[in-house]
Amino acid sequence: MFGINLAFEEGSFNSIIGQSGSGKSTLLNILGSLDRPTSGDIIINGKNTKNMSNTEIAVLRNESLGFIFQFHYLLPEFTALENVLMPYRISKRPVTEETIKYANELLDIVGLTKVKNNLAINMSGGQQQRVAIARSLMNNPKIILADEPTGNLDSDSTEQVYELLRKINRQFGTTFIIITHDRHIAEKADRIIEIKDGRINLDISKTNA
Amino acid sequence: MKLAFSIAVRFLKSGKFQTWFIILGIAIGVSVQVFIGSLISGLQKSLVDKTIGNSSQITIQAPTGEYLSDYSDIITSLSTNVDGIKIYSPTITARGTLLEGTDTSPVVMRGFDFESANQIYSFNEKITEGRIPTAINEIALGIGFKDSLNIDLNDQITFDIPTIGATEVTIVGFFDFKVSAINTAWAITGLNTVQTSLGVGNVVDSIESQIEDDLIFDAEVISASVENQFVNDGEGIPTVSNWIQSNEELLSGLQGQSISSIMIQVFVMISVVLAIASILAIIVMQKSKQIGILKAMGIQNGDASLIFLFEGLILGVLGAVFGVLLGLGLSYAFTTFALNSDGTPVVPLFIDPAFIALSAVIAIVASLGASLIPARKSSKLSVIEVIRNA
Repeated sequence: MFGINLAFEEGSFNSIIGQSGSGKSTLLNILGSLDRPTSGDIIINGKNTKNMSNTEIAVLRNESLGFIFQFHYLLPEFTALENVLMPYRISKRPVTEETIKYANELLDIVGLTKVKNNLAINMSGGQQQRVAIARSLMNNPKIILADEPTGNLDSDSTEQVYELLRKINRQFGTTFIIITHDRHIAEKADRIIEIKDGRINLDISKTNA
Repeated sequence: MKLAFSIAVRFLKSGKFQTWFIILGIAIGVSVQVFIGSLISGLQKSLVDKTIGNSSQITIQAPTGEYLSDYSDIITSLSTNVDGIKIYSPTITARGTLLEGTDTSPVVMRGFDFESANQIYSFNEKITEGRIPTAINEIALGIGFKDSLNIDLNDQITFDIPTIGATEVTIVGFFDFKVSAINTAWAITGLNTVQTSLGVGNVVDSIESQIEDDLIFDAEVISASVENQFVNDGEGIPTVSNWIQSNEELLSGLQGQSISSIMIQVFVMISVVLAIASILAIIVMQKSKQIGILKAMGIQNGDASLIFLFEGLILGVLGAVFGVLLGLGLSYAFTTFALNSDGTPVVPLFIDPAFIALSAVIAIVASLGASLIPARKSSKLSVIEVIRNA
């Protein structure tokens, strides 16, 4: 990737589109501190990630970032509820009744109340994806990064998931950066960025968002 | 810590078959360790016991032709100043010939203080006929004499010491030491029988002793401190000898056995460590996706390593517990089913709790050590590689 200079506004709902191999996933991974750029700076919440230690980056990921991946990435050994609680437990704060209540609320929001005690491995793709969304919200992150969150869902589920993300965006004021190749979905975002051959090809913001 | 532990437990539970397989592997290693260790130390103890259990382990011998007249003072002084000796017994020996009609046989007439000598030689158990001599000029003979002299209980025979004279003695018993050199050579009697035969006063020519059981291999040190005592007391210089000097072959045999037992144990442990390390390495590969997810959620590298250290610890502890149980079970089976015709075990096992605890600790430490490499791997695992290779 070259010459990328992007800034995302707090509370905005952004989509990144582009053909496969265009570099959009790489961009998202770099934004999310999962990957390090060969050169350049990433500034999250006013802090440059370039000079952070592994521990500091881990804390940043845990507290400020939420990830939703294309392939769900739940821990198959744990139940839906335990998966949702995991980011909180990683933060090493004591798990209180309120915490569990909040995790249950998140599962209610994504409509998984009935299956919250099922092991992740025993859930359908759409259910797993919704668990992943609830999990990304657990620590009230400022930013949620989603890489084709509906990549392997049918169109009905896709619609549901986007409605959900949008709802969360409005309700919690969370910043969303979402990769998609679905133009129909992308058009619902406040801002669309198209990546082509590692460069920004298009950057449109909707004024009426 | 708690999180890493609960993740470790969950990972282990999710692959139950694999987990029990590793635990079984460790358990078998530990049980072999416990069993071989108990077997070898039992073997050694019974061998040592059979060889030197009924003999003097440290002997204080007066110079040739001289006697120790103040032997009870010497024993009193040694008892207070030297640690590690459980019993002292004065003896006096005369060499001569037993005459019965036309039959003659050379004999070593050993005079004992039976009260103390019994604790060394267990004469009570060795007497096969009759009894231990109690009065002067009563003797008990090795069963080997029975045929060579054609004698029986309560026979009177002549004990002749060249250049000194002959004494009439009564045979009151026969003993069997299970050693033909003793059975055909020794006659045992009270101190006074030998003293009067030799025409000497209340003197002895040597003091025999036995070391406390757990100090048996410290014979040389104890023997040296006995020797020092004589220098200190300004006595004449009797020679002090110990069982280690006179049983070098036995000792080198025991050492060889110990070394081979240690070798077996070391190799068993090495194979256990390799097995755990390789299986844990496979688990890291299997769980790399999960580690990647946890890292994306912000788990710190230290905690990611801890997961695998805990796995190693849990496997080690469970493996050690089952291994000790299995090893004790094996030992129990061995001592119950492998019996001599008289019902005693072929090899008496020696169960040493300290040794078993050590085996368990070694297994746990080895498991922890084996999990270090996977733990490091887990710590170094990069999220992005896991996500790219999804």
